[in-house]
Amino acid sequence: MYRPSLVVTFTKKSSVKMAKLTSLFVILLSFFCISEAVFEDQVGKFDWRQQYVGKTLFAHFESNTQSSKKMFVATDKNIFASFNSRTGDLLWRHVDKTGPEGSIDILLLHGQDALMVVGDGRLLRSWDTNIGGLNWEAVLDTGSFQAACFVAIQDTVKLVAVLKKAAISLHYLSNGHQKWVENLPDSDAVQYQAVYSGGEEEVYVLGVVPNSHLTIIAYSLEDGEIIKQRSVEASWLSSIESSCVVVGQGVLMCVDPATLALYTLPIQAEETPEFSQILLQSLDLEVFPGFQPVLVSSQPHPARSPLSEFFLQLGPDHHVLLQLNADGYTIAPLRDFQPAFLVSFATTGKKTVAAVMTPKNETACAINLFSVDSGRRLLDTTVLFPLEPNGGKPHTLYVHAFLKKDDSVGYRVLVQTQDHALTFIQQPGRVVWTREEALADVVTMEMVDLPLTGTQAELEGEFGKKAAIQDGLFPMVLKRLSSQVTLLQAWLAHLWKLFYEARKPRSQVKNEVTIETLSRDEFNLQKMMVMVTASGKLFGIDSKSGSILWKHYLENVQPNAAFKLIVQRTTAHFPHPPQCTLLIKDKDTGLATLHVFNPIFGRKSHIALPALPRPILQSLLLPVIDQDYAKVLLLVDDQYKVTAFPSTKNVLQQLQEMASSIFFYLIRSDQGNLSGFRLRKDLSTERIWEVVLPTEVQKIVAVKGKRPNEHVHSQGRVMGDRSVLYKYLNPNLLAVVTESTDTHPERAFVGVFLVDGVTGRIIHEAVQRKARGPVHFVHSENWVVYEYWNTKSRRNEFSVLELFEGTELYNSTVFSSLDRPHLPQVLQQTYIFPSPITTMEATLTEKGITSRHLLVGLPSGAILSLPKMFLDPRRPEVVTEHSREENLIPYAPEMPIRTEWFINYNQTVARVKGIYTAPSGLESTCLVVAYGLDIYQTRVYPSKQFDVLKDDYDYVLISSVLFALFFATMISKRLAQVKLLNRAWR
Amino acid sequence: MLLHGRLSELCIFLQAMFVFACCFSDIESGPIATSGSVQPNGDRFKLEGRAIVPGVKTQDWISSARVTVEGEEYIGFMRTDGSFVVNDVPSGSYVVEVISPGYKFEAVRVDITSKGKMRARLVNFIKTSEVIRQPYPLQLRSSGPHTYFMKRETWGWTDFLMNPMVLMMVLPLLIIVLLPKVVNTNDPEMRKEMEQSMNMLNPNPELPDVSEFMTKLFSGSKSSSNKAVGGSKASGRPAVKRR
Repeated sequence: MYRPSLVVTFTKKSSVKMAKLTSLFVILLSFFCISEAVFEDQVGKFDWRQQYVGKTLFAHFESNTQSSKKMFVATDKNIFASFNSRTGDLLWRHVDKTGPEGSIDILLLHGQDALMVVGDGRLLRSWDTNIGGLNWEAVLDTGSFQAACFVAIQDTVKLVAVLKKAAISLHYLSNGHQKWVENLPDSDAVQYQAVYSGGEEEVYVLGVVPNSHLTIIAYSLEDGEIIKQRSVEASWLSSIESSCVVVGQGVLMCVDPATLALYTLPIQAEETPEFSQILLQSLDLEVFPGFQPVLVSSQPHPARSPLSEFFLQLGPDHHVLLQLNADGYTIAPLRDFQPAFLVSFATTGKKTVAAVMTPKNETACAINLFSVDSGRRLLDTTVLFPLEPNGGKPHTLYVHAFLKKDDSVGYRVLVQTQDHALTFIQQPGRVVWTREEALADVVTMEMVDLPLTGTQAELEGEFGKKAAIQDGLFPMVLKRLSSQVTLLQAWLAHLWKLFYEARKPRSQVKNEVTIETLSRDEFNLQKMMVMVTASGKLFGIDSKSGSILWKHYLENVQPNAAFKLIVQRTTAHFPHPPQCTLLIKDKDTGLATLHVFNPIFGRKSHIALPALPRPILQSLLLPVIDQDYAKVLLLVDDQYKVTAFPSTKNVLQQLQEMASSIFFYLIRSDQGNLSGFRLRKDLSTERIWEVVLPTEVQKIVAVKGKRPNEHVHSQGRVMGDRSVLYKYLNPNLLAVVTESTDTHPERAFVGVFLVDGVTGRIIHEAVQRKARGPVHFVHSENWVVYEYWNTKSRRNEFSVLELFEGTELYNSTVFSSLDRPHLPQVLQQTYIFPSPITTMEATLTEKGITSRHLLVGLPSGAILSLPKMFLDPRRPEVVTEHSREENLIPYAPEMPIRTEWFINYNQTVARVKGIYTAPSGLESTCLVVAYGLDIYQTRVYPSKQFDVLKDDYDYVLISSVLFALFFATMISKRLAQVKLLNRAWR
Repeated sequence: MLLHGRLSELCIFLQAMFVFACCFSDIESGPIATSGSVQPNGDRFKLEGRAIVPGVKTQDWISSARVTVEGEEYIGFMRTDGSFVVNDVPSGSYVVEVISPGYKFEAVRVDITSKGKMRARLVNFIKTSEVIRQPYPLQLRSSGPHTYFMKRETWGWTDFLMNPMVLMMVLPLLIIVLLPKVVNTNDPEMRKEMEQSMNMLNPNPELPDVSEFMTKLFSGSKSSSNKAVGGSKASGRPAVKRR
């Protein structure tokens, strides 16, 4: 399996920017502030957070009154949450462990209590939904979970029955104590799949031996004794779960797609030894070819038997409402719904209704209520659900029905679409809120500069080369004047708008951001966040307000696809639109597809895409641009052939010229193999180096190069004795992290290799003994910071590697990997970190003058901004005059975590998966987006705001002092004049 | 910064002393057995405790709090009364923490033997084997809300007036303006007294004035001034390679 990763390596091109070593300024700057913190009045000013829960698996509404506001959802991200159904805001949310151990098997709601089975039948939890706390938690016996239901004794729900593969247990609702547990007979052969309680003294367990017979066991509620047990011949039945439901007075209703018939069997009655068959043909029903019919029933109250009406789905958009007659084996069709996408039952009080969603036109679906007893449509119940052009289709319908004051049935409806979005609609057809739950699983993101406004762009265009050549001197002067006039106009309009809005009360001023009004601000602080989610939905989010400006759902994306987002053309090349390319790769086959779009508007670009018939191993973005200013993307397939995109003549020619200086690497972690390639003129490749790390000992877990947009301002560090220690700034350096295959605490180790990506030379290797992953690391400038778990001392440790050339620079103008005879000096120091971490990233600024901070995501959801100063391998153990001069902090083994350093204060980001940093137009400011379950956007100032006035700048004080001085001079001048006059008279 | 480093070192040292002292008193008490901690499914145990935020109702904070064991390896939720249980924890040594965005709790290390005996102790990452016993089942008391925010520097008149620069400017001004008014300078006795005090300030009237000295220095011969500069150069730090 190849890991997709990228490095663009140039020997000649990527010369390190050789800024002359400036004064101490840069270094001094970094010492002014060790602590960076948020001020209380800045809360919500530059930052925002959005909380998500993931794809809904179960949803329940609180109670069936019109005024109830709460709804509860359990999701595939192992989250149990409560929403305010009026606003869609989270009331509370409980985030469990990721993976199968925290997965939610079922959610049942009864009054104030929410019952949940977690981790494939591992735990049974009861929540107090009012305050969001746990009532109790009970550990269940081992065995995989099958089903659960409430059990009522004398019309009150007191127990919950949990059916496992080989046992059934009953628990009290009040405290979770187990009433009894019984092993199921013959559980090896029989698959027990359903449990049913209709309010009597027994609880029934239904099991099936596929294609043979059905087993029904009745247990006594009192002591778990088997009251009766029987088996019924059912050679056509393979699974109860998928083809059977219980309707009416305990009648098992099954559908068989092979014989196209419904089968009924009373569960309790002993006298009927076999299923009675009703052919669908006799009901005038026809199954859509190749479709597995589905039954939908409803049991409004656990103490009573289910409804005798049920839905039968016969095709993708064909449903039938049927009724089981009182005799228990004849069926009467009530109403045929075709076309109908989705159906759902809802009960309020004594009334049960069915909600049916039917397509209305291209842009909307209609939802109607029908009376269950008669199949009659209820008047004035139509609600419209708007279909988005680039959204998913409706997937599930959750209906909240309630009785209005006039005793008619009112309802609200929650629609879940395939792209995991939740839409809540109220009568008459108003969308109350929408939650884009796909954003709970952001895979990758980029920040794109916003375009200039029309007038700005026109000004830019004026200075274009082509324009200058075509026009003479006089037209250019005219153009200049006219553009100045337009600028003046725009400014006046802006002033007028300000004045106009200032008169209105504040609440009325709408600062709604739309795509049309988007434009770059003065300091380029507002950007477009392009987010790619695992479900295949793309989002464009305004970084200032967090509002979603566009969304685009890519259908046919495999659930296990890997994504890589590449910005091929930025907004800087007006009139060419910006262009992003999303590389979607199927992890199983390795086949890739490209989706090219405009990141500002989200529209798909109609560009000829290259054919990619072979699995793609590696992609690299070259700094080479074609005549339309799009950067060239190279895709390497499994035969080491290279495809260029775009592949115009111009590009191919440039590639031929540069081929000898384009290198790339491939990693095969299953073989422990790292190899480097060089591009040939005919776009084939040749292998030039190979590093093998034997897989018996260690495996490669991650490889990181440096970020291509990173700038290093100072080439060295000024030491205490005024000499300079030059940094080893190799742009082609790769940090390779390995973990030992032996996981024994005494023998486990973590290895860090620094490999030159062009020559394959191992610059340095560091091995951390008695350590294991997960390893988080950052590779930037001349340093690598990594974090691991120390198995001996049971703690997390940070280690920093810094590379220096020494006091002499070998070749100060150009860095070439092929011509560096000396290995760098490597300094290393290790510190204890008092918390585990989930992710780590370094801040990034425009020119790299500002000091660096590490942004560390903690499991608590906090994001710690840790100054890089604390991770400096030159921190001395003994303070000397030189070290004091350099402002080095004396070494302390334990790294501090101060809550003042949390950039997101109490706005925790659950399960931080990644932190994205982007430079802004201000050198002091770095834009940060943390994503995981939540999305949090903020700005950080690692060296404080040295280039703009702070937002707490005291304008009043300064102006009042100025005015006071001005008046003082005026008055004193006057006084002096008077005095002079008086003296002259004397 | 330096001070901070020193302080932390001192703290560590003090902590170490404390640990040492505690060790003496805690020498023979091993892990204590807690009944009912063994669970039906094999060698998995449950971890119990209770968290309290003084002065705050439980329902106001428990919905956003949770208990993490060794990062997110095992997770427990708060009951409505503030107690918690983490189920299904195998034997080992874990750092247990109550995480709440509003209130801070100290982390506790819990050791579970393979037989399910438990003990709780203070977390010490530097001396990992040191034992300072904590009660088990855990009793975690919040030490108050987190301090996330820095205080803004506010501007006040007193700050301005008490500024040393301002004081240095204002006080002489006062003396210049007020003293002549308070003291009658026309009084001959007083004048005499003042002259005396001036002489006191300048003990050696023969010594040349500073300003006089300076004018002499610059108007004097060039060779002497050059010498002085050269001397200062030599007395500076030894020449350093500059790049």
